[in-house]
Amino acid sequence: MSLEFISIFEKGIWFGFAALGFGVLFNVPQRALLIIWLMGAAGGLTKLLLMLFSIDIVLATFAGATLVGILSVSAAHNKHAPPLVFSIPAVIPMVPGAFAYRMMLGLIKLSGTAVTNETYSQTLGETASNGLKTLFILISLAVGVAIPMLISRKETIKRIRHISDSDAE
Amino acid sequence: MNGEHIKKIKEVEEMLLDVGTLLMSNGASTGRVRTTVNRIAEALGYEVELLITSRSLMLTVTEENGSDYTSSVRRTPPHGVNFKLVSGISRMSWRIIEDKLSVEQINQDLSRLRSLPHYPRLVVLSLVALAGASFCRLFGGDAVEMIVAFVATFVGLFIRQEAIKKRFNPYLAIVFASFAASMISGLSVRLGTGNTSEHALATSVLFLIPGVPFINSLTDLLDGNTLNGIVRGVNGFIIAFSIAFGLMLAMKICGI
Repeated sequence: MSLEFISIFEKGIWFGFAALGFGVLFNVPQRALLIIWLMGAAGGLTKLLLMLFSIDIVLATFAGATLVGILSVSAAHNKHAPPLVFSIPAVIPMVPGAFAYRMMLGLIKLSGTAVTNETYSQTLGETASNGLKTLFILISLAVGVAIPMLISRKETIKRIRHISDSDAE
Repeated sequence: MNGEHIKKIKEVEEMLLDVGTLLMSNGASTGRVRTTVNRIAEALGYEVELLITSRSLMLTVTEENGSDYTSSVRRTPPHGVNFKLVSGISRMSWRIIEDKLSVEQINQDLSRLRSLPHYPRLVVLSLVALAGASFCRLFGGDAVEMIVAFVATFVGLFIRQEAIKKRFNPYLAIVFASFAASMISGLSVRLGTGNTSEHALATSVLFLIPGVPFINSLTDLLDGNTLNGIVRGVNGFIIAFSIAFGLMLAMKICGI
């Protein structure tokens, strides 16, 4: 069990670096980089820990993305940048790249000549399963990030005004 | 209805068009464009009505308690992502309210924001490549596969940047990048460096994923900007297909 936790913790570090890379690619302000690293790691760790307690990957991803969305709103208050600057790079490490890849392989197989009658239904089933996982994980990422931003819009505006009153820059 | 008066409204309108198109083409959602433009106009004492589509912006500026107005349309440049600009404009819009900036000062600030430097190219390439290697680790790759993913992402992103500089079609630029990255990871599989083919191959193209179009698409849809949401979503799907096309070509060539 403790070995599992160590391996999950190690993955948290990689989640952070994946988020950081996308932050730089999207040219975020420098003051946001450390926060993005931390938020990427926090979101990814939430997802992995929930999955360790045998919660479905779609739900676990939704929880991770929602956490990132909530954190991004408070980061926006403190660092004076819109929430999406933090949340988009931070959720990208959770994209279902492996499922999408397997779905694509399946689609190529299904449309080609290599599939026989016996293997067709199995390939079809695997492809549908991978494709649906990809779709639902993507939707839960986007919704998880978007909902806190939508809910907090009014509050964000007020709080930022309050903060920048006492801020020289 | 004198000319001087109209000229003043025209100035404000040009500045608002600048702000709106800059936000739209650099990764802001439709709702954010609308709120920011409205906020700036209100602070300067004007009322504004907007029509925002993904590739053009139309607005009508009326002065408060007056009858003079002007309208105009501007084409929005092709979309990219630059969050430094989005966040800079957002901060500026608050300064306009608090410090009562004039239109001239706002224009100065806009050109300053436009000329803010990007991260150095080598830094971007290395950190995005590191992100590729991290993805590879997350999907269960070992150290060798991580190095392969690093190199593949580095080269792929370099090719995409070059293709965009040479003004190729943006989707074609993604096909080139995806093809190059997966050729590198595919060849490494052929030459027998990694133990399984999946990890490096599946992760070397992830730097291209349309994260901003998809998330902005959903934000727009939930916000009631249905049309813009659909346009962004379709754009995201074409990008995803471009990635898959490049990956498939490379896999067929490498015989995986």
